[in-house]
Amino acid sequence: MIRCKPLLGTFVEIRIEDQSPPLKALDEAFLAIEQVQSLMGFHNPESELSQINLRSHLEPVRIHPWTAEVLKFAKEVYLQSQGIFNCGIGHRLVKASLLPKHNKLNDYSFGGIEDLQFIEPSLVQSPLPLCLDLGGIAKGYAVDKAVELLIANGIQAGSVNAGGDMRVFGNRSQSIQIRNPSKPHELIQIGSMKVGAIATSSLYFANRNTSSKSFMVNPLNQEHIEFSESYSVVASRCVYADALTKVVSISGNTRHPCLKFFSAQAISIPTTQST
Amino acid sequence: MHMNWKPNPYLIIGIATITAPIVAHAKIYVSIEQAQKILIPNKSLVKNPIIITEELQDKIRSASSIRYPFQGDRIWRAADGSWFIVDEVVGKHEMITYAVALNPSGAVTGIEILEYVESYGYEVAEANWRKQFVGKTAADPIKLNQDIQNIGGATLSCKHLTDGVKRVAVLYEIALKNQTLSLKAK
Repeated sequence: MIRCKPLLGTFVEIRIEDQSPPLKALDEAFLAIEQVQSLMGFHNPESELSQINLRSHLEPVRIHPWTAEVLKFAKEVYLQSQGIFNCGIGHRLVKASLLPKHNKLNDYSFGGIEDLQFIEPSLVQSPLPLCLDLGGIAKGYAVDKAVELLIANGIQAGSVNAGGDMRVFGNRSQSIQIRNPSKPHELIQIGSMKVGAIATSSLYFANRNTSSKSFMVNPLNQEHIEFSESYSVVASRCVYADALTKVVSISGNTRHPCLKFFSAQAISIPTTQST
Repeated sequence: MHMNWKPNPYLIIGIATITAPIVAHAKIYVSIEQAQKILIPNKSLVKNPIIITEELQDKIRSASSIRYPFQGDRIWRAADGSWFIVDEVVGKHEMITYAVALNPSGAVTGIEILEYVESYGYEVAEANWRKQFVGKTAADPIKLNQDIQNIGGATLSCKHLTDGVKRVAVLYEIALKNQTLSLKAK
């Protein structure tokens, strides 16, 4: 059984290899992804993420354990990458009209993920105003949550693919293809996976005209970056794969030391000149 | 936490282009009947086609930015006034057939993708993706799935689909709402 729904701004595909799976397994997996979207979406002014951005510098904000978990992952990758991964760049994307504007921006005053403090496991605050965007990590987390729910429902083998960020589990080796950055309608077989996750960063589907800016921002100098190749990261969990693709594509280093810390591997597909 | 991953050996030595490109791709997810059971479970649906007059088509078009005409022959209604509507959106990169379920007051209760086709207007691409489906039927879904790729890569936006759902909402307001009301009046 394979189903697909529009979620997280993309198409989320859930595939189950089992012969007669309980239908509720798939429904629950999709619901988990919907929940991640409603908790951590930047576009939704009611989301917990928007509440953190609005109020965490004024008062402690109570959050769902899943939001707390994603923020902890984000802090961990921030630390290990020495700041190359930092979701505190939302204001840059708002300024470039790549994200919606919910409140006034004073771009000199924003802190980063390092400023977010946990007072309790589900209570956060920040000394500085924040404009966090979890776009680079929450999708991977949602994929992991969906996989956890499938496994909890007794599903033996399957995969969850959120617009190209995916995780597979079970006992059957699955061939993994990624898009050729030179010709995105062509696929390149990059390996096979039984258990694990892969996420990819590239700009080929950004649908941009020449005047608009890239959605990828280097947190260290706050510049929008451009690149034509694609970077994929293979890791045990999709949340790490997703976040680490930003480390690799921003640094341009497929052997970045933090990959080893997360037992991850990176693959770069160069663009070819031939058409 | 572990991982079982075997990279393609050609990639390791840095000659990715040696692997024959596989051309993307079309996927059939669920049939209309399956989508009906998923989105409106345990209710029997009656086909309720409507004629899309030019006037209605214009209203739908101006409300949603989608030019591709809406077809009125894939509309179903449940006894309680819920609706099940199948529609298509055609984007620059893709064509998507999807189903929307509306509750009796017209709120969207679920969206399910039925079919997704990437089309770049290349004859070759078309021939190749069609090959995936040769000899396969919806009655053999497991086998069908096993033969279809796991595709990683950049995010394809679902913006077109969002526009599609908008036009279904407009269709409800203009053409279906009254039917629900008259049904209640009976």
